[in-house]
Amino acid sequence: MTDVALFPRARIPYGTWGSSYFPAWQTSALAEVNPGQFAGESMARILGMRGVSQQEMDYLVLGSTVPWHWKFWTAPMVASIMGHRIPGFHVEQACATGLQAVLMGAATVEAQSHDTVGVLTFDRTSDSPVGVFPERRAYERTQAIADVWDNFGFDPATGKAMIAAAGQTARKWKVNRNETDEIAFLRHAQYFEAKERGFMDRYMVPIDLLSVQGRPLGSVTEDVGVRQVSMGMLRGQRELDTCVTSGTQTHASDGMACLLVTTEERAKELSPRPEISIRLVGKAEARAEPSLMPEAPGIAANALMQRLGMSYDDVAVFKNHNPFAVNDAVFQRQTGVSWEKLNRTGCSLVWGHPQGPTLTRSLIEGLEEAVELGGGHVLLFGCAAGDVGIAALFEVTG
Amino acid sequence: MTSSTSSTNSTVTTLRTPTLETLGLGTVLDIFRNGRLPVDPAAAVDAVFGPAGDRGSMVISGASGIVGAGKTMQFASRLLPYDVPVVALDMAGAPDGIGAKYDGLVAGFGKATADRVMASIVKLTYDGRSLPGELDGMKPRFLLEAIPEILDVKKAHYALFRERFGDLEIRSVTSGFPARELGVGVAHPAFPHEINKLFETVEDAPSDVTRMLWALGLIPVPVSDDWSFILDVLFCGVTLAGLRYHASTNMPYWKVDKFVRKHVGPNPFRAHDAIGAKGADFLTWSCLHHLSEEYGALFTPTADLVERKETGQNWYPMNHFRPLVDWSLDADAEAEFRDWILGPLFQMTSLMLKENRGHLTHMNAIGELCAQFRKGILAVMREEGADGVRSTVERYHALVPEAAGNAWHPETLDAIDSPEWQQLYVNAEHDGEVGVISLARESYNWDVDAELNRAIDWLKAAGIERVIVTGDFHLSTQMVGADTGEFFAAMEDPAAGLAITTSWTRTARRLHDDFRTSVAFVGGKRCLGGMLELLMHCHHMVAVDDARFGWPEVTLPVVPGMEACHWPLRRTDAAGRGKVLEMLLTGRPVKAADALGWLVDRAGSMDDALKAAWDLASTGDAGDGRRPVADGALAGIADEVPNLPDADSPQMEAGREAIMGCVKASTEVGVAEALEVQARIAAEFLAGPVCRKGVVGGEYAKTMRV
Repeated sequence: MTDVALFPRARIPYGTWGSSYFPAWQTSALAEVNPGQFAGESMARILGMRGVSQQEMDYLVLGSTVPWHWKFWTAPMVASIMGHRIPGFHVEQACATGLQAVLMGAATVEAQSHDTVGVLTFDRTSDSPVGVFPERRAYERTQAIADVWDNFGFDPATGKAMIAAAGQTARKWKVNRNETDEIAFLRHAQYFEAKERGFMDRYMVPIDLLSVQGRPLGSVTEDVGVRQVSMGMLRGQRELDTCVTSGTQTHASDGMACLLVTTEERAKELSPRPEISIRLVGKAEARAEPSLMPEAPGIAANALMQRLGMSYDDVAVFKNHNPFAVNDAVFQRQTGVSWEKLNRTGCSLVWGHPQGPTLTRSLIEGLEEAVELGGGHVLLFGCAAGDVGIAALFEVTG
Repeated sequence: MTSSTSSTNSTVTTLRTPTLETLGLGTVLDIFRNGRLPVDPAAAVDAVFGPAGDRGSMVISGASGIVGAGKTMQFASRLLPYDVPVVALDMAGAPDGIGAKYDGLVAGFGKATADRVMASIVKLTYDGRSLPGELDGMKPRFLLEAIPEILDVKKAHYALFRERFGDLEIRSVTSGFPARELGVGVAHPAFPHEINKLFETVEDAPSDVTRMLWALGLIPVPVSDDWSFILDVLFCGVTLAGLRYHASTNMPYWKVDKFVRKHVGPNPFRAHDAIGAKGADFLTWSCLHHLSEEYGALFTPTADLVERKETGQNWYPMNHFRPLVDWSLDADAEAEFRDWILGPLFQMTSLMLKENRGHLTHMNAIGELCAQFRKGILAVMREEGADGVRSTVERYHALVPEAAGNAWHPETLDAIDSPEWQQLYVNAEHDGEVGVISLARESYNWDVDAELNRAIDWLKAAGIERVIVTGDFHLSTQMVGADTGEFFAAMEDPAAGLAITTSWTRTARRLHDDFRTSVAFVGGKRCLGGMLELLMHCHHMVAVDDARFGWPEVTLPVVPGMEACHWPLRRTDAAGRGKVLEMLLTGRPVKAADALGWLVDRAGSMDDALKAAWDLASTGDAGDGRRPVADGALAGIADEVPNLPDADSPQMEAGREAIMGCVKASTEVGVAEALEVQARIAAEFLAGPVCRKGVVGGEYAKTMRV
């Protein structure tokens, strides 16, 4: 038990959460829908399945990164879609969004402005909107930016692509291709092991979609695009940058994930297992040197653990957003934590990268894993655009 | 067999109390015995508005509102033959609700009549505090008040009229306030107001106004003087049940609607939006609010209803947010859903039974006629059984404990085996010699079938050999055919279809086989489909001149399964057979007067038809003049009917082919064997692909595949 807590009043009620599957970019009916509407209706469904009335929520924090139709109206609009008119706001920090949204939810509870906050994160990378930006000072005069792919390909602060940052970090930390292939192989094995033993059934929710005519449009019942891999397959893939191949990097996908943050008392009332207590111990953020994004999470994690006076031996579950296998190899070098200990129930390297909900799903997976282990600390960390790293420690007891 | 406990009214013994008696109009048998209806429309209008030459007017206040405008249309059109002007009174500046009804009027009556109806409406405005001077010249005799649901405002409104026109009749359309609170009688109508004929009436005794409503072809239904009326308890009750389920599970309102439609019939949230959410939400809240004050938490409005009665926000999402994420329920969850919805409805009904709010047949029919219930609530409870109802309510109380505190009267279920419960749709009466079977439901279903068999058994047990089969002159103003909702099970399971076609046909044949003389009487506008198949089994068919007869099955398409494909052909000559086949293959109706000799035996004015039916039944015609049933194979049935108009659709074309096949197969055998042949073909068609693509299949998919 840790003596300190970042938001002592806030708890995450166990078992009231859920996530859609994350179909790969352009592979499902999710490519055709308004993601805000999808997320709102799905959260209502998930809460219903968990036996929680959405009327328990008195505030809603949204997290998403890709612009969507009527985004201007953010959380109040999504709440209205759920049929529950509550206030709320929207938070965005690229791939850190999912964790930042949880933190904002906890801060809202801590501030006592609201007692039960819904945290709803989502993104649709498929058919991402194209923004047209009049830039009269620029040589091009007007620039058209495809939100997902053009941003992946160009960090305006460094002039480099995400993938280049991965390659540059691999070279700095002398990560070799064999290691990243082995990491990718293990991650896939971990994912399928968790899936096959039914672990994901605790929090993943199949969603059926309707057309405007009310007819079936499609069902989102699996992480479409995720396949079993062999070492041979991984080793045969072309290297796009140092240690970066199709197999050792994540893929864009679509989806949502949600949870609640509330007070200790309400958490006991809402959770199907009131004896379980989940609270946030601390968090840290860091920024790596230019174009070294994969090492930023390790910097943040080290800072966090040092500040808390804790050792990595005190951590039961390590979960991270790892868009590149390079991230895990570098984390081992920075912290001494073997990458084999990470992501034992799946990770974004395998199930994809819809940005907004990525770390939310990772958190839910990590908390479920900790409950399975009988409790312990969950260290959640990941990188985000701008060479940023974020880390947070959660405590699961009971 | 139900209990044969009977009541006696002069010389008429009845299986259960005739609903006409609640209006002081006697029995159905009396109507035939007297050879005329108990109230003459012209005399009834005179009684309310004064004789021609001193005719007063009808005033509808709040006439621009949803209720007022609808009722203005209804009364103006029905009073048109009697030159009674209708004054449409509303506040200056009220949006015009009457002009919007014109297109519907044209569609219903044609432009010329619609123009005359509109011309009979005198629009006046007032400020709410004083009445316009022009009203004096209109000689108001009957005020139908349809102003906002605020008690003090209503009372002040009545005082205004009483002060100026002391003796005029006043009825309020209120959906919630008892007459004792209002100080005037109640005539509470149902949506859609321009066409729905039913009025729940509250008055000390049946009045001239109520008798006039009946004589004009409307359906007055006396109810007790309690908070809210039967329709509102049922409709607001099912809405509240859906709201509570939503609050507990988050299921969106549109999806709750779909499951409610599957299990009960209505779409309560769609209905609120269609009526106009702001007004409808307020009325529903008002009804539940008053009921909760009187009866407790069973009726307490939910927070979202309280919010929306203020905001008027629609329950369904706007077009740009048409539902995206579907909701399904597994079998256990759907069973629990049923408890959430039917539990409170059963409990509320027990309260209404405890308070004797109305005749059980009325209470049951109000759900069907006014709230889209596929089966009346009492019929549903009867099917569930007393123990089943009690269990359902107990399970509901486990879900909503606060509802258990009061307003639950399980003892009212003790009488579930009584004739009043068991004969909700079919009554029987006799005078020792002649019996009357009256149908209070416009479409035939399993309930009607069972009740009809019990009614026949009851008459047979009394030694009655001569019978008239008729509508009930009250709730059933026409006979539209089989209840196609009963076909849903048959679309999945051919055995279920065969059960329908075989059992219902056997019941129909009892009208032919079990009585020495049976007379079918059609006094309404139409007799179609399965109802015509039922009545054609009587030895004689008597109808009013302009009643229309038809078999629209081919347009759905379904194959008639109660012997239309051979029975009427066995009772006519070659010329008549051609006309019967044309009816079967086109779906077009014929007027009674045009069907004489081959489908109809007597046709005339109402009085003449009543007398003819009584003559045939009371004299026990000994078989003279009957069209006999040819019981052997029929020769000379053509393979096809020449000069048929083109079918409207491929489904109709396939329907024709199937019907013709059924005609051939069932006429090539004797009448005994034909029952099974036609039943099998009709059942097979119900379970086949053509039916699935047709109207019934579409309804089935919409209703049952949620």
